[in-house]
Amino acid sequence: MVSVFHLITNRTTGWLGLLGALLFVACSPDRYSKSTPRISARSGELIYRQDCARCHGDHGQGVAGKYDETLHGEQSVDSLTRYIHRTMPEDRRQKASEPDALAVAQYLHAAFYSPQARLRATSSRLELVRLTNRQFRESIADLVGSFGPMQQAKTGGGLVAEYFQSDGMNKKKKSILKRQDSVVDFDFKNGSPAEDISADQFSIAWTGSLRVPETGEYQFRLTTPNGARLYLNTDLAAGDSNRRDDSDAKREQSLIDLWVSSGGVSRQGIAQAFFLGGRTYPIRLDFFKFKEKTASLRLEWKLPDGPWSIIPAAAFSPEISTVTLVVGTAFPADDRSHGYERGSSISKEWHQAVTKAATETAESIVSRLTRLADIPASVTNPVDRVARMQTFCANFSSRAFRHPLSPSLRTNLMGRTFESGIDPEASVKRWLLFTLTSPRFLYPEAALVDWSDDLNKSLQTASRLGLALWDSLPDATLLEAAKTGTLVTSEQVRVQAERMLQDPRARSKLKDFFHHWLAMSEGGDLAKDPQAYPGFDPLLVADLRESLDQFVEEVVWSPKSDFRELLLADYLFLNRRLAAFYGAQSVEGESFQRVTFEPEKRAGILTHPFLLSTFSYHKSSSPIHRGVFITRTILGRFLKPPPMAIEFMDDRFDPTWTMRQKVTELTGKPTCMACHATINPLGFSLEQFDAVGRFRDRDNAKPVDAQSEYTAADGRVITLKNPRDLAVHAAQSRDARMGFIRQLFQHTLHQSPSAYGSNILQELDADFLKADCNIQTLLVEITVRGALQRVPKKSMNQP
Amino acid sequence: MNLTTRRRFLGDAGLSAALLPFVTGLSSLQARSTPVKQRIVFIFTPNGIVPPDFWPEETGAKFTLKRILEPLAPFQEKTLILQGLSNRVRGDGDGHMRGMSCLLTGIELFPGNIQGGSDTPAGWASGPSIDQEVAQFLQSNSQTRTRFGSIELGVAVPNKADPWTRWTYAGPNQPIAPISDPYAVFERLYGQVKDRENLSSILDSLRQDLRRLSGKLSREDKVLLEQHATFVRAMEGDLAEVNRQKLHQPAPRLEAGVGTDNESMPKASALQIELLVNAFSNDLCRVASLQYTSSVGQARMRWLGIDEGHHSLSHDPDLNTGSQEKLVKINRWFCEQVASLASRLAATPEPGGTGSMLDHTTLLWTNELGKGNSHSHDNIPFVLVGGGLGFNMGQSLKLSGTPHNRLWLSIAHAFGHQTKTFGKPSLCEAGPLSLS
Repeated sequence: MVSVFHLITNRTTGWLGLLGALLFVACSPDRYSKSTPRISARSGELIYRQDCARCHGDHGQGVAGKYDETLHGEQSVDSLTRYIHRTMPEDRRQKASEPDALAVAQYLHAAFYSPQARLRATSSRLELVRLTNRQFRESIADLVGSFGPMQQAKTGGGLVAEYFQSDGMNKKKKSILKRQDSVVDFDFKNGSPAEDISADQFSIAWTGSLRVPETGEYQFRLTTPNGARLYLNTDLAAGDSNRRDDSDAKREQSLIDLWVSSGGVSRQGIAQAFFLGGRTYPIRLDFFKFKEKTASLRLEWKLPDGPWSIIPAAAFSPEISTVTLVVGTAFPADDRSHGYERGSSISKEWHQAVTKAATETAESIVSRLTRLADIPASVTNPVDRVARMQTFCANFSSRAFRHPLSPSLRTNLMGRTFESGIDPEASVKRWLLFTLTSPRFLYPEAALVDWSDDLNKSLQTASRLGLALWDSLPDATLLEAAKTGTLVTSEQVRVQAERMLQDPRARSKLKDFFHHWLAMSEGGDLAKDPQAYPGFDPLLVADLRESLDQFVEEVVWSPKSDFRELLLADYLFLNRRLAAFYGAQSVEGESFQRVTFEPEKRAGILTHPFLLSTFSYHKSSSPIHRGVFITRTILGRFLKPPPMAIEFMDDRFDPTWTMRQKVTELTGKPTCMACHATINPLGFSLEQFDAVGRFRDRDNAKPVDAQSEYTAADGRVITLKNPRDLAVHAAQSRDARMGFIRQLFQHTLHQSPSAYGSNILQELDADFLKADCNIQTLLVEITVRGALQRVPKKSMNQP
Repeated sequence: MNLTTRRRFLGDAGLSAALLPFVTGLSSLQARSTPVKQRIVFIFTPNGIVPPDFWPEETGAKFTLKRILEPLAPFQEKTLILQGLSNRVRGDGDGHMRGMSCLLTGIELFPGNIQGGSDTPAGWASGPSIDQEVAQFLQSNSQTRTRFGSIELGVAVPNKADPWTRWTYAGPNQPIAPISDPYAVFERLYGQVKDRENLSSILDSLRQDLRRLSGKLSREDKVLLEQHATFVRAMEGDLAEVNRQKLHQPAPRLEAGVGTDNESMPKASALQIELLVNAFSNDLCRVASLQYTSSVGQARMRWLGIDEGHHSLSHDPDLNTGSQEKLVKINRWFCEQVASLASRLAATPEPGGTGSMLDHTTLLWTNELGKGNSHSHDNIPFVLVGGGLGFNMGQSLKLSGTPHNRLWLSIAHAFGHQTKTFGKPSLCEAGPLSLS
């Protein structure tokens, strides 16, 4: 993916340079005659070994000093044949005959050149993998959460607010009013917040839950000239029934403490905390005014990579959720070299992070042990208390390991951790430390390799279901199904997968996928030239992101869940700010509403302003960035990385030119056109949108020409007059579907599809078509296949 | 205020990243040929004292300790009693609030939303306290820098944050909460040691299990677990290396199950003293504060046969001899705690130096009031025990009506911090007290 980072500098590298000499210029004028060539005397493989391998290597890997680039690409056999016939072997005057060229093209296309061949070659077995970082965090949250009630808030819209009349030091003397407040942004000035409450002294408590949209580091900011404390993701302390701050009861640590005012001056408290997306966390905000001149209070947050904003009503719920343990330890990034996170490699840094995270987790659990291990104060006998701790430990390990703790391991561990002379809490800590750093937890399949055992087989299925749909541990229902032998057939597994799909964790994982697929997780700065695009500020960018999220959620979680709808939809979601900026019909209020547009002007994600702006320069559109994104991500086509870096320097061109003219000039060489013949027409079809994704009919004071001829992967030439033509093509394209299936597959199972058989993607595509391109069904299908895959199928076509 | 969350703290003090720095810090401290160490402990007890049973009659080197101060007899020649210092800071807040929050800061409170029994509501102090000023000064110099700089301990401090319960401040509006739970103090000081012990204890089992699982895996999959095992072995090696570099004093073994409630005060006090001495001998900090309850503290010293709360008793008139007798007992108990700390330090040889640790440590015991039933800010008790600051110890001085800011200047200067003023500048006009 082209990094959006480049956009900041208004310069980009790549996609403009020379391509490997073998790649055929797709739009070459000399069209190859379709007459059937004679049959070659030698086999393609023999020709390759005799005439090609000396420069290109045995498997097209290249030869240093001769031709050191790998022969990878996506040209058709026809294209390759023509190219070889005209130019190869390069070191001989006599070029390959047509029949020889065809034979060798067929051979290398199937053996190593085509994407399919490469897929077969990359990995053909299920690798033993560790938990990815996301899986580690999600698993710990659910593991600890499984002890005691787990409650997530469902509704949204605000917090429960209780308004009190105070009397001197008695901050909550009398409850006057209870209602729901949507956001915490109040300025009472020198007045009273409600009838029957005096203006000079009062107190308000807000309670409920906070819903966090995505995983990452959040900041919170509380601003008030009065007294306020913010508690987030904490239990009520033992002995505290209401967190009333005027009582002497023991209290949990607050996240932000601004309880004591200072000369009536407005103060700010800022704190940060790491949260897992898609979950809800208990929140309480306590506030009081005592004789200060004015009263006001504002609660804001800063999403990972977002601007500061008032926490919106949609992020609040009046329901109170339970505490979730979130691992805050930073991990080294997972390997994404294959386009998806996978736990196929480990490092010393990773091992240290795991150890640190395990220590952090054990620490937190021990601090809440009486709750988690159910040791009420009424259990006073130390022997009974220790027994409860031991039971907790054994259960903890069984759940973490996804299989029962063997009696020998249990005995061994009990002996080593609950030894005499150390206090039982330290023993618990040791036990937890062992469990969370154990390979049985970190490598989910390592302890389940014995497939002969029916229970193990079912537990493995349960474990895989948890990881596939939630990136987490199996829940109690799955474990129960495994134990009772009702997790065996694909129908039984599908029933479970469909149940799990309804859980917020599945939504969170799928959201994570779309963020990855649509380059929303790159964390770049979308800032544009403020002179050229006034009003395109960080808040607007955050709105755009939210708008795209809402659109994707709307499509994906509707019953039809139609993949094609993502491309073809004639609506998007706008709030008041976006509607005003993009000149749409007016939208009232802060919330997002569905706004339809003229079908020929826009189409689904292709013209979503977030993506159009992401793939643009600081001051102008970028047909190249847009074209590359569409080629690879949307149409699932392969592009080689550009062999040399060329910067787009706007001031090198005739200042009266349009962007299309500049790009055409810059990429005009035949060598560039090998890829740009594909990239440019796709990018040009979106030229009616400026750098912030606004519709335009003029570029640089000239009419926009958005029409182009695009040659599809199968050689068909398609005229694209507007974005909808492109969307219609993509929605019907098999490559586009296959690309989507492959990426969803990798994101779901964190393994290479080829490990599941060389035809897995084709089979899934057939199912996908049958199900009217239903994304939810596809996800379930991928999950079921992943969960039941037993013996790795060896690829037959491995070179 | 940016509160450090528990998780943040763990992150800072976490295992892997901080494993070596901690050790390196220690070894460098041991190897260092530093100027002689100076330390100070500020000790707070509340509600004023009983003047006739506290202040010596005499001035100068020859004096007799009255009943309350009798426990200091073994250290009399190392004791300096300063009568006549006043907390002259005025402004918002009631007498207790200002007594407490202006004591170490010597500066006014901000107007705020905390209302006392009288006067105007107030907020936090508007400047740093002298302990933090000295600690920051020591931390700014690599010769005197320690891992923590200062530690703030409490004994039965109420679980509230207001100007009555806070006396040390990192700066304006930045009160520092004392830690009343000795186990939390231990965690702060030696958490890493414990974490390492816990970790060391499981690594062996972990390697065994890795080996057992590896045996079941295919050749390709085995590679990953074998690599994992090498990381575990490397960590074992690192930990062994760390454990070879011993602390000067091993972490203390604390009696289990001591609470933070009123009844636990005697035991909690003993544990905090133990931890403090230990932290000093390992040179984890050179400045400390030890706060017994809070201003308006209501300790009920049942272990002395006193059922009434301390603050309530302190309001009783002088003529109520029963109450006065109880107040004498209470204050004497507090003095015993000071003496106990002094005797622990006196019994410990100065690490890498000469004499005892008490020779290099000054204990400064004070109070938010001079007298409870008058809420007087005059004649606030300041009793110094120990050495190292170059003061002429073994004296009883009567300074009459001197702003206490001048004492803080003397202390800053004794540490080499030549500041012209501390706290409210107008109260520093006469400069530091001449105590040497």
